[in-house]
Amino acid sequence: MTSHCCVPLGAGIGLRLPHIAEVVVARPSVRWLEIHPENFLANPHATELLLEARCDYPISVHTVGVSVGSVGGVDHVHLKRVSTLVEMIKPILVSGHLAWSTHDGEYLNDLLPLPYDDETLRLVAAHIDEVQEYLQRPYLLENPSSYVGFETSTMGELEFLCELVRRTGCRLLCDVSNVYLSAHNMGYDPYRYLDGLPVEAVDELHLGGFTAEEDEAEPGSYALVDTHAARIAEPAWGLYAHAIRRFGAKPTLIEWDNDIPSFATLLAEAARADEVAAAALAPEAHRAVVG
Amino acid sequence: MKSQPRRSLRRPTVPSLAETQSRMRGAVVDGEIAAIAPLLVGGRDPARRLAIHARHYQASLVAAIRTKFPAAAWLLGTAVLREAAQEFVRQHPPAGPCIAEYGEQFPRFLSRHVGAARVPYLYSFAELEWHLGQVAIAIHRPVATPDAFSALEIDTLMDTGLALQGGLHYLHAAWPVDELMKLYLTDTAPSEYRLASEDIWLEVHGARGEFHFRRLDAAEFVFGKAILEGKSIGNAAEQALEVDAGFDIGRAFTTLIDSGYVIEAAPPERRGEE
Repeated sequence: MTSHCCVPLGAGIGLRLPHIAEVVVARPSVRWLEIHPENFLANPHATELLLEARCDYPISVHTVGVSVGSVGGVDHVHLKRVSTLVEMIKPILVSGHLAWSTHDGEYLNDLLPLPYDDETLRLVAAHIDEVQEYLQRPYLLENPSSYVGFETSTMGELEFLCELVRRTGCRLLCDVSNVYLSAHNMGYDPYRYLDGLPVEAVDELHLGGFTAEEDEAEPGSYALVDTHAARIAEPAWGLYAHAIRRFGAKPTLIEWDNDIPSFATLLAEAARADEVAAAALAPEAHRAVVG
Repeated sequence: MKSQPRRSLRRPTVPSLAETQSRMRGAVVDGEIAAIAPLLVGGRDPARRLAIHARHYQASLVAAIRTKFPAAAWLLGTAVLREAAQEFVRQHPPAGPCIAEYGEQFPRFLSRHVGAARVPYLYSFAELEWHLGQVAIAIHRPVATPDAFSALEIDTLMDTGLALQGGLHYLHAAWPVDELMKLYLTDTAPSEYRLASEDIWLEVHGARGEFHFRRLDAAEFVFGKAILEGKSIGNAAEQALEVDAGFDIGRAFTTLIDSGYVIEAAPPERRGEE
């Protein structure tokens, strides 16, 4: 399997349809762009613009519809369409989610949680093998944003992810905001979670905004919801710095999918990500961690 | 940090992953949380946490439908359209992950919605809106050159098919919904407007964010639609002649070419049909 050899380190931006014409015309200065193929596969005009953009920017493909956790199997029709787009734009990375979203011919338009046990592990590993074989390249798997877990799980998310990496050779996309959000919602330490991820397997980081919603069951407390509709929260920046110190400089995506702001706002978030990463990698920062 | 997830005293019987996902689907789409709730942990009441997924499913798809049918909302009122969209996404989840393709069945569903009973032309109006949205995201491909036709043998011309632009659709309606759509698009609706039932045959064309529509006569419509569906020129002409014995195939053929709709001529040996 092959992957792109020139993956840019530093911040990139999620390219969404409202910005694509602007990006093609204005060619803003950004290291790389990431797309959801599902936004392009049924939209020839957007695809045409994307093919123009790829002349100037490395592109990463981040799927939301390749449902590696579905009992019904990977949707081969969709995988074939994704593969065709991958062939066309030759992305630097191809990634997706540890989740499921299809059921009996229906697409549930969300990234739904999985119980972590042996049955799920075998199923997800088989599906990742299938995707990697089909695409002939490594597939990066993103840690989920969690609101609930399963009483029936027999292992933790970290153990599950590490075992998937071991069995399939897949790579990891560490969504730092998801780590923060899930740790808040499920009650664990996000820093320990990052420390448990296999350093050598992490190829990309994500940062996205989340929204606090009052927890109906616990008045006065709140759950964090992965809306991608806001700036990146301050605590997530702190966790990102820790991630950079642990994993080294990585391509880091700024994700903003709802209430999409101006492209300039996204560029400002990307610039901040680069600043945080640079500060985290400065020698004194390393000494502070080691000390 | 929050408190540890609540644990029940007895572990629930472990259902298969298939059963778990079936129950989860019921919770997310239908709001039936009782079957999945005992399996969940997270916060003080995991079932309420699960509502985050259900809300996202509902809100994201309703928003997608509303974005695709603003003219229908203009006609019916946003509350009626939203209510219909909410019911639609419960009854008809998407079949695939490309949400741009979701909603083709909504015009039919909407026309049967209780709030739409007094609008007999609603189906045709919403269907026209669907097609306008679809052609607007198409692209205009290079048109076939004269060489493509000059290379054809005259005796095989009638067995030849034509590949047409992806942004070309044909739509028949029993109401003059094109006039109503023009009122919406130009924001010129009078305080009162009466529609009388009338068959219309529309050619809808668009690309790269733009769209146009115009009326055709019935035979020209049948000819173009048959070509679009892959029929040979001869077969399409036969269908058109059944509608109107005076159908002028030469004019219809030339119009397709002159309009820039033909991207390729497919001689019989390449069509593999009929």
